[in-house]
Amino acid sequence: MNLKHVILAASLVSAVSATELAAEGRRLNDLEEQPAVRGRKLLVSGRFEFAPLFESTINADFRHIIGGGAKLEYHFGDKFSIGGIIVGSTALNTKLVERIIPTLEPGVDNMTREPSQDEFRLRLNAMPLHGAAYASLTPWYGKLAAFGQAYVAFDFYFQAGISFAQLTSDCPPNICNDPSPGKTNPITMAPPDLNPNNDDPLNDGSRFGLYLGGGIHVFLNDFIALDLTVRDYAFSDNPSGADVSGPRDGPDGAVTSDDNRFVHHLFFGAGVSIMFPTKVKRTR
Amino acid sequence: MGGDEKPAAQVDPTEIDMGTDEPKPGDLATDMANADKANATVTNGPINKTPLSWSDITTVVRKPFLKVRRTELYPFVGTTMNDNMVRHYTVGGELAYYLTDVLAIGVEGLYYQRAFREPFDLVARQARRLPTVNEYQWSAALNFHYVPVYGKFAILDKRIVTWEVQFVVGIGAGQSRVIPRDTKFPGFTNFLIQPNIGVGMRFFLAKWITLNAGIRDYLFIDKFEPTNREVGMNDTAELAKKNADSAFINNVMFQVGVSFWLPTSFEYTTFR
Repeated sequence: MNLKHVILAASLVSAVSATELAAEGRRLNDLEEQPAVRGRKLLVSGRFEFAPLFESTINADFRHIIGGGAKLEYHFGDKFSIGGIIVGSTALNTKLVERIIPTLEPGVDNMTREPSQDEFRLRLNAMPLHGAAYASLTPWYGKLAAFGQAYVAFDFYFQAGISFAQLTSDCPPNICNDPSPGKTNPITMAPPDLNPNNDDPLNDGSRFGLYLGGGIHVFLNDFIALDLTVRDYAFSDNPSGADVSGPRDGPDGAVTSDDNRFVHHLFFGAGVSIMFPTKVKRTR
Repeated sequence: MGGDEKPAAQVDPTEIDMGTDEPKPGDLATDMANADKANATVTNGPINKTPLSWSDITTVVRKPFLKVRRTELYPFVGTTMNDNMVRHYTVGGELAYYLTDVLAIGVEGLYYQRAFREPFDLVARQARRLPTVNEYQWSAALNFHYVPVYGKFAILDKRIVTWEVQFVVGIGAGQSRVIPRDTKFPGFTNFLIQPNIGVGMRFFLAKWITLNAGIRDYLFIDKFEPTNREVGMNDTAELAKKNADSAFINNVMFQVGVSFWLPTSFEYTTFR
């Protein structure tokens, strides 16, 4: 094989390789450098969200907690934000309470185990103030068509953080008058009366716990959105203020700290979110 | 007309593809994988110019899921949302036929299992009152579905999921049973006429399977054990039922399940 043959063979190999490369070549796509969605509105990214809101318990046992408040949130990007919520509330007796109270004895009778109407009613607590500080993740966003007419943007979000609540109960001294619930009276040495109906309900004060939430923004325009959320404020509580559990996980005849337990307070909230700045940015 | 107009025969066949048969629809995942492949970024290699095709021009994105003339088999589980005394868990199923893409008619059946909640015991312990409660045993209904809301969303900018919202209205029947406060007295059962209304969401996972979740309110008038029951007074089931207290009940249930669609695929009948 002389030099001529070598050069000819090399040329052939090069030509074949070039042809193969050309055959493998992919089609030209003029949009390859372009963004996936051009001009997408950044409805939350880099914006403050202020939302006046209404909130109500879902399926409360003894008292509905209904109130109004606000949430303030800052969105670092499309997906991550931090914020806080605070709600002032009033308490309304549930139908269960309204049914029980008329059947109870009208006056206090310590000879019976049955509570009087006041002993039952005044031990229930209320939640005049509650709220949370949280981080929020918005993994889903999109748009929808309703009745083929209204086209709106929406996103789903999930929140987790710390909850707090201010609890109150107003059991007066003439009702809650046991000086040493469940224990021997240190002064008179009288044995415990094993009557939980005259004990302090121990269900007021400040509480801190876990907060979880999930909701949806439905954008009505570039800066106003309908905000629907289910929130769980979970903390130690004894809503009925009664003797629920004792050392053996049953009633022990006295209201003690054992009767407070980790309770999930489930709320539904509806609000109107206003985004600041109101002018929305767009992707290129 | 127009002397400069080219006859059709002079069109360069390498410039415009006048339409080849569309590939037969496969499954959703394959379609999406093919789309991803077609959109793969060009990083190197020589560039080939390819002819234009009608299939390159998409004016309106087609719905990735069609329901018309398909049957939905929807097994689901559910739980009570609005009763703080007794919680019912249900296992059920619905068979629905879609007359159009937004209207369907279906039949459902549910079996109920009860569990007492904390207030049931608390009321007995604290207030010394035995709650009067009924348990539900079964129900069935004829339902009408309407799907007015349709949308799509991106999950973490990676995957597009389409979903829709449907409203349900139905009429049916069921049975409840009194749980006697004192077990020495017999309970009795009630036949219930149960209209229902509901709203739900459906997420499309593939051409033959969807994930569903929704809320349904079953409305009925139920009969409860009379307050006074002792020997000689409402001590038989017949007497107790005759003197029962009636109440209007909203049994709100959360239901979740997976729907299977038959036929498992579908063909588009319109252009892209």
